[in-house]
Amino acid sequence: MVKRMSLKQFVFIIPLLCFMGVFSIYPVVTSFMYTFFDYRTNDQQYNSFYMDEKFNEALFVEDCQYVNYFISADITLVDEEDQKAFTTVQEKVSAMMEKYGTGTAEGQTEPRKMTSQEKEEIESFIGEITEEINAIYAKYPDVQFYNKENMPTILEGLSGSIVQSNYIGADNYKKLATDERFGKALLHTFVFMVFSVTAEFILGMGLALIMSKSMKGIGGVRTIALIPWAIPTAVSALIWSYLYDGSYGIISKIFSEIGLISSQADMLLTTQGAMASAILADVWKTTPYMALLLMAGLQTIDRGLYESAAIDGASPVKTFFSITLPLMKPSILVALLFRTLDAFRVYDLISVLTGGGPGNGTETLSIYAYKLIFNQSNYGYGSTVVVGMFVFVAIIAMIYVKVLGAELISND
Amino acid sequence: MNQSKLFKICCWFFIILFLGISVFPFLWILITSFKPEVEIHGTGAYNIIANNPTIQNYITVIVDKHILNAVKNSFITAISTTLYVVIVASMSAYVIARFKFKGKSILMGLILSISMFPQMIVIGPIFNMFYKLDWLNSYHISLAYCTITLPSAVWVMVTHFKQVPVSLEEAAKIDGCSAWGILWKIIFPIAAPGVFATAIITFISAWNEYLLSCTLNIVEAMQSVPVRISYLRDEYSIFWSQITAAAIVVIIPTLIMVLLFQKQIVAGISHGAVKE
Repeated sequence: MVKRMSLKQFVFIIPLLCFMGVFSIYPVVTSFMYTFFDYRTNDQQYNSFYMDEKFNEALFVEDCQYVNYFISADITLVDEEDQKAFTTVQEKVSAMMEKYGTGTAEGQTEPRKMTSQEKEEIESFIGEITEEINAIYAKYPDVQFYNKENMPTILEGLSGSIVQSNYIGADNYKKLATDERFGKALLHTFVFMVFSVTAEFILGMGLALIMSKSMKGIGGVRTIALIPWAIPTAVSALIWSYLYDGSYGIISKIFSEIGLISSQADMLLTTQGAMASAILADVWKTTPYMALLLMAGLQTIDRGLYESAAIDGASPVKTFFSITLPLMKPSILVALLFRTLDAFRVYDLISVLTGGGPGNGTETLSIYAYKLIFNQSNYGYGSTVVVGMFVFVAIIAMIYVKVLGAELISND
Repeated sequence: MNQSKLFKICCWFFIILFLGISVFPFLWILITSFKPEVEIHGTGAYNIIANNPTIQNYITVIVDKHILNAVKNSFITAISTTLYVVIVASMSAYVIARFKFKGKSILMGLILSISMFPQMIVIGPIFNMFYKLDWLNSYHISLAYCTITLPSAVWVMVTHFKQVPVSLEEAAKIDGCSAWGILWKIIFPIAAPGVFATAIITFISAWNEYLLSCTLNIVEAMQSVPVRISYLRDEYSIFWSQITAAAIVVIIPTLIMVLLFQKQIVAGISHGAVKE
């Protein structure tokens, strides 16, 4: 029985829509918007979104106050004529402050729009006083002024109160296309994804086949298999970084003893070693999970098929390839799809295990984007990297869904 | 010896090998956690039994490094996430499982794509949002966890709710039960095992979450378990004895959960994967 929904039932999905809207869809759209701006939170000129030029009143007033204050400190060191000139400058500055400081006095702190006339006036004012102040200072090359050196900085800051637009169109995407570090991160991500998912699939399949042969004690095996999957990835990454340690890690010791690596320190301190370490840790953690997913698929296969195959004299290998694999195709693809995407967006394992090192050798796209956004506060370009990632995720998902058919989404 | 017996031995060999590899890291950190720091470095590093076993590492991580506070934080966030996710997911799963409506396939597609996209894409705007709302370093973080938990919870619940026979619902309707009543008094209790499996999976993913919590909750008092434990590894001095002891402490809750609820966890994992 499938009925049409009335308004009353629609109320039931409102909470879901709200949560998804606020914490998933809004952030995705916002991230996308970031990519069109030179948006950097550590720089006052770029920490918001300006489609056109704005006037930062608060900054203007603050810098004007500094100019006057600096002049007052230095005014006693010049002769009478120049004292007058300094005072004129101060008067001009005060007049401008009065004219343009109204918004700040009312507590407005955000940059506001300005007319082209205002812009002209402010620019010519800044040019004028810069010239005048410099002219006076230039007259006294031997006098030790208090603020001669600080003045240019403040005057520059004053020009900064006219905020340029930081809308840069597709520039971030152009940068992405030629960014070597992005290309390398993409390569690392693919290497990690392909190797770990392949290994997990092969081992998981074997494990699923063995575990589905209902043997005694398999329940206990299943419980133990769950533990690596259930503990936080950050914790297991930390455990592995101890086991891999270059001086007293047991795994790196064993590997170097049996000749897999030439010295114990190679495990985390060479690019290939670190990547192999990350893949190995991921395989250790996720194979049991893969096995459980595949086992669920195995159990949906009709036992009778195996019996008739056995009667017809098919070998176990033949049975596997002509019955098990084709019938499991949907569950294999679903398991692979989710694992592939998980591996593609890997963050916590690599962040804790290698931090992207050595020398960015294991830096995946997630790590690169996170460093851009939070370590360099470069939200604009960082988000562009994430959008690049998003495109690859969409392509991967599309390939799988194509192979799967529309089965996955249709839910009737 | 016949062939099937040989096969069985082979199977058991692989299973034991697999279990050995699965368990070995835990055993090794358990051993290390009882060693004093000096014995971890140098010649005795690979001894199985410490020369001078000590529980000092555990005392240090619990008393000085406040690891239990992180366990408490993780527990509060994970529980609150589980509660609201189960409620929200049940409500929408009921409608999705039982009713036809316009845009249903769009909604399902949307839910599916949210569970697929890289979490990295929401992290910048969510950080800015939390910063503006002054929600950083608070338990509000559990609201942000809905991105990682809600889509799969809805998805799994829909499959479970579909298995509840419609006839029961009809009977309740004749008795004058509202849709709200039908959901909580009929479908929810009957689908309880499925609901419980979903709850456990949600709890585990909230408990294990790292990316959001290392970005939004960074002050020590609010750190979650994964973040706190990664902060123990200081750039200049790594005290493996303490880290391993801390790891053992935080693994215990997970271990208990797996032992108690392994059936539900397995059900929760496999239900999302099998198309019925």
